[in-house]
Amino acid sequence: MSETTFVDGATASVVHNYLLSAAEEMRTTLVRTAFNPVIYEVLDFGISIYDADLNLISEAPGLTFFLGANDYAISKAVEYVGVDNLDEGDVVLMNYPFWNSAHSYDATLFAPVFCGTGAERERPFAYLCIRAHWMDLGAKDPGYVLDSTDVHQEGLLFPGTKVFKKYEPNHEILELIRFNSRMPDLVFGDLHAQVSAIRTGERRMKEVVEKFGTGVVTEVTRRLFEEGERTTRAALARLPQGSWTAVDYADGDWNTGEPLRMQCTVTIADGEMTVDFVGSHGTAVGPVNIPFGSTIAMCKVALKSLTSPDEPSNAGHARPLTVLAEPGNLFHAVYPAPTFTQWTSIVAFELIFKALAQAMPDRLGASSGGDMPGFMMVGTHPDTGRMFAVSNNEVVGWGGAPDHDGADATIHLSESIVRNTPIEVLEQKTTMLIERLEMRTDAGGPGRHRGGVGIERHIRFRGAGEFLMVVQKTKTAPWPVGAGRESEPNRIVVFPGTDRERDISTERVPVEPGDLIVVRTAGGAGHGDPLARDPEAVRADVLDGYVSREAALADYGVEIDERGEITAVRR
Amino acid sequence: MPDEARPDTPPARYRLAVDIGGTFVDAVELDRDTRRIRFRKASTTPRRPWEGVLDAFDALGTDLAATELFIHGTTLGLNAILERRGARVGIIANEGLRDVFLMGRGNVPESHMYDFTYRRPPAIVARRDTVGVVGRLDAHGEVVTELDEDSVRAAARYLVEESGVTSIAVCLLHSYRDPVHEHRVAEIVREMYPHVHVAVSADIAPEHREYERTSTAVLDAYIRPIFERYVDRLETELAERSFDGHFLITRSGGGAMTSAAARLAPTTTVLSGPAGGVVGASFVARLLGRDDLISVDIGGTSLDAAVFERGEAAVVHEAELEQMPLLIPVYDIRTIGAGGGSIASLDKGMLQVGPRSAGAEPGPICYRRGGTEPTTTDAAVVLGYIDPGGFLGGDMALDVDGAREGVRVRLAEPLGMSVEDAAAGVFSVMLAKTVGAIRQITVERGRDPRGFSMLAFGGAGPLLTPMLGREVGVVEVIVPQAPSAFSAWGMLSADVAEDASRTVLRTLEQDALPDLAAGLDELAAEVTELLRAQDVTGGGEVVVQRELELRYLGQEHALRIAVGTEIADAETLRKAFGERHQQLYGHAMDNEVQVLNLRVRGVARLEQPELPRIPTGDADPAQARSGERLAYDFATGEMTTFAVYRRDLLEAGDVVPGPALVEEGTSVTVVHGDQACTVDEYGHLLIRGATK
Repeated sequence: MSETTFVDGATASVVHNYLLSAAEEMRTTLVRTAFNPVIYEVLDFGISIYDADLNLISEAPGLTFFLGANDYAISKAVEYVGVDNLDEGDVVLMNYPFWNSAHSYDATLFAPVFCGTGAERERPFAYLCIRAHWMDLGAKDPGYVLDSTDVHQEGLLFPGTKVFKKYEPNHEILELIRFNSRMPDLVFGDLHAQVSAIRTGERRMKEVVEKFGTGVVTEVTRRLFEEGERTTRAALARLPQGSWTAVDYADGDWNTGEPLRMQCTVTIADGEMTVDFVGSHGTAVGPVNIPFGSTIAMCKVALKSLTSPDEPSNAGHARPLTVLAEPGNLFHAVYPAPTFTQWTSIVAFELIFKALAQAMPDRLGASSGGDMPGFMMVGTHPDTGRMFAVSNNEVVGWGGAPDHDGADATIHLSESIVRNTPIEVLEQKTTMLIERLEMRTDAGGPGRHRGGVGIERHIRFRGAGEFLMVVQKTKTAPWPVGAGRESEPNRIVVFPGTDRERDISTERVPVEPGDLIVVRTAGGAGHGDPLARDPEAVRADVLDGYVSREAALADYGVEIDERGEITAVRR
Repeated sequence: MPDEARPDTPPARYRLAVDIGGTFVDAVELDRDTRRIRFRKASTTPRRPWEGVLDAFDALGTDLAATELFIHGTTLGLNAILERRGARVGIIANEGLRDVFLMGRGNVPESHMYDFTYRRPPAIVARRDTVGVVGRLDAHGEVVTELDEDSVRAAARYLVEESGVTSIAVCLLHSYRDPVHEHRVAEIVREMYPHVHVAVSADIAPEHREYERTSTAVLDAYIRPIFERYVDRLETELAERSFDGHFLITRSGGGAMTSAAARLAPTTTVLSGPAGGVVGASFVARLLGRDDLISVDIGGTSLDAAVFERGEAAVVHEAELEQMPLLIPVYDIRTIGAGGGSIASLDKGMLQVGPRSAGAEPGPICYRRGGTEPTTTDAAVVLGYIDPGGFLGGDMALDVDGAREGVRVRLAEPLGMSVEDAAAGVFSVMLAKTVGAIRQITVERGRDPRGFSMLAFGGAGPLLTPMLGREVGVVEVIVPQAPSAFSAWGMLSADVAEDASRTVLRTLEQDALPDLAAGLDELAAEVTELLRAQDVTGGGEVVVQRELELRYLGQEHALRIAVGTEIADAETLRKAFGERHQQLYGHAMDNEVQVLNLRVRGVARLEQPELPRIPTGDADPAQARSGERLAYDFATGEMTTFAVYRRDLLEAGDVVPGPALVEEGTSVTVVHGDQACTVDEYGHLLIRGATK
């Protein structure tokens, strides 16, 4: 469009609402028709709509980390395929980790939308993109891969391959997928669910263009980008200006057990934000390397939370963001680095806030428990004689915030909408007996606003099998803000009280009947001086068992007697 | 009173329904002799809620001694939870698991996914009031550790004597398999402290998932005392007015229950606010033979939409309130923050409508109660839809100039538009938001909304829904009589209902069928007994619906399939499940099928009210025409002359061509230029696209 069309603020809002609900309707279609629970229960997907120049118009992320995750992927995939090779009705599959913002099992599908009349139809007016986690594409192990050493052990790779051509399925490619998956029915089910969602989006986009014309829609999206960029720049300008660096360590991978240095420098200046990962570890041996697209997506989430948490995102919002990580850095995986477990980014996410918190202690919270410890049990069910593989994501404490305590026992902020698995479901489907699952006294880092507490879970095994633990932050403590204090790190102890007792990180552990494993998740760190905490709040914590009487005195200087009365405040 | 023996008296003449809303109490009287229906309103009295009910009785002036049935919709339980006014509740759980309620599922609501200093809302139970007791069942319901009764006594003593709780929720693991430990705990507590209310999770919701079941028991324990006091008070007041009929309370998932039954299960009433409208819509759907219907209830602050298939609204068995799950049957209603009081404002040069609402106070600018921000109602006044002199039957003169000025200053001038275009923009934006939501709820069921009819009610329903229907492309929009009191009217057609359920978790195979059938029989006997005890229909027929909740093994979500007293063979069931799965989710699988829950609903049918018919006319609505005025036509996008009609003078068979406004006391139906409105024998307005 060369000439700009005038669009009034009412029409712009109407068009914007239709564009947002197009993405929402794609989401409903995907969730409704997907085959695997990772999509419809865990919401492990991301849905986006782009304009002709691949600017994000609207999106419906499932998990937080899928915010903007498609942006990098679709630009790489369109570049690979070539715009001129795209026809109406095509659907392209791409899962090459170094272009995709994820591991190989996140399948990104995109399709061009052709709208308008005459010359307008010569190139796509928009693109629709959906990534979703597939159950199996033939990696070295079924389920999750914890110890791959190159990308070729992680499944079949597609660089940008048409699975539909002009609305017709490409049978040769589909057969290739079928012969390379352990669970082809589930994979096809999800593939078709993604295609259904894309077709829904295509219909809605065409309707909007039919109703308002390409000129109006283009003008509305131009305004959205402009306003989005303005919002971000204005919000960044209100933050402290400067440059701050933070360092933390991820546990490393199972292959070597060596901790991995993560460093990031965040700069806020002139309405822009730059996140630079220079100083971080290079390529790791095991599957903990992060594709650059994931690194960018992670930074977009941090930027959004700081500048525009309550409005729908578009390309404009992210324009003031620059992300730097040299190829070969832990945060810019290059061929043939293994990338299967993406846990490093959960831990690294808070590193950005660790850098920023130095400058804005009145705005940001302290570190949470720092991770989303996950476990899975694989075994044979005595009732059915069949194999089971059931997992759970564990809660941690969130960091103390500037004006309130951190949330107790809550899923990590990077995937906070995920729910844990009920004990009754774990016990029905596996041979685990959960003997204890309670919040841990004194687990929250002391502070004027204390960190939320983590939990302690005792898992007794009543049958043999394998216990898979995935965790990346057991070796360093969550960091506080100001005069707040650290909290104890996550700790997983296998077989306590026996001569086999030891602490583990990410590992696959064989278990026998009678065995016990204890998962202790970290609380959040504290925010501000614990001696400045309201003694009544300390007393309430003691009465509720979040803080012990000993810690009340030692950490907070509040002496509380057995009846729960304050007898002295020593500060 | 319901539990006393009733002498043989001639059938009483009246039925009453009273619905307490946020602002008004709506009361409806049905005179069974004349079939006449009368409506009155009173103000809501939040501090002493029964007074509003009595005021509404007084406004109607019905002879309570001659009233057979009083059906009441109350959000008392809901308000107690929202305002944190419930009892001090203690929790007895398994040892080592006392935090089930406080931890929940560990998740943050989606609306807060980017809020990294998220704060959970204050819990309604303090951690100091949670205790674990020794005793444990496994997933088969087998005892792993015997119940230690001393630990139970110690827990009860601590909670009641030291903590001072007045209600106790008991929830132990796997009690849906065997409630033996929970029952024994309850027995011990009741023996020790007869005045303490005990809520037993397996008795309230014998379904798996410990957090959801605990939360349901906690909410029961929390609201029961306040609910009992309210019902006691109303019963006393009714008795003083010589009421000798049945006192029913509406349930969240359809039907009603006697006040005596409601006292034992107050959680089932908690989300009954919009239920009256759904019951009424179901009645209209059956009466008019509209299988596929979307009800659209638009009040001051929000729009509630529900989908009906085969004339029935979908019921789900889990709701959420203040982020707490509640395992009760509840209508699947979608709420959007868009109503008559929704505020229109500018955000970065773009026009936004809602979710903020001006509510009743200060209300829209045109109400002259101090409102300064333009609302949807102000836009409707600017566009000529609402007659400023005839609002609420002329009781309240509207400030047209104020509304125009508000729209001009706050919206039109900054947008560079005319006042009318800005006001029309308010509706366009609101419609764009709503259309998406309506599509969502039908698409979720694998349906296309274009095959549906829409039923419009609530004060602003008739004004907005014809536009909405036009935008979605539905077959027609139906406006019932007295749309603003439709929810209260709907209650008149409620039946007495009871639900029961049980988690079974069995693979669907031939061998399992006898057990499943026996389980359903037990639940059927349970609900039948509950309905008999309520004795509303005088020993009339009880209809029992049996359902199996099925899912593919390994899946989380389940679908309900209706079965008869004899269960067909497993293969037929599996096929029925597969077909339903195909319809809803677009695919079926060969995987094994698991029976998750047994569900039974018993319904004691009450005699249904008959709708009065209106006189038949000659298709020409001239007799009802009361004038004309300028209003905005969405078909042409400009102000044009609308013919104005009085609804009470329309006759069956009349065809009102658009553009037209059909007025009644509290609402106006807007028929746009490309639509026409037909009047049916009951006086329903049927608005469809005009045939060209």
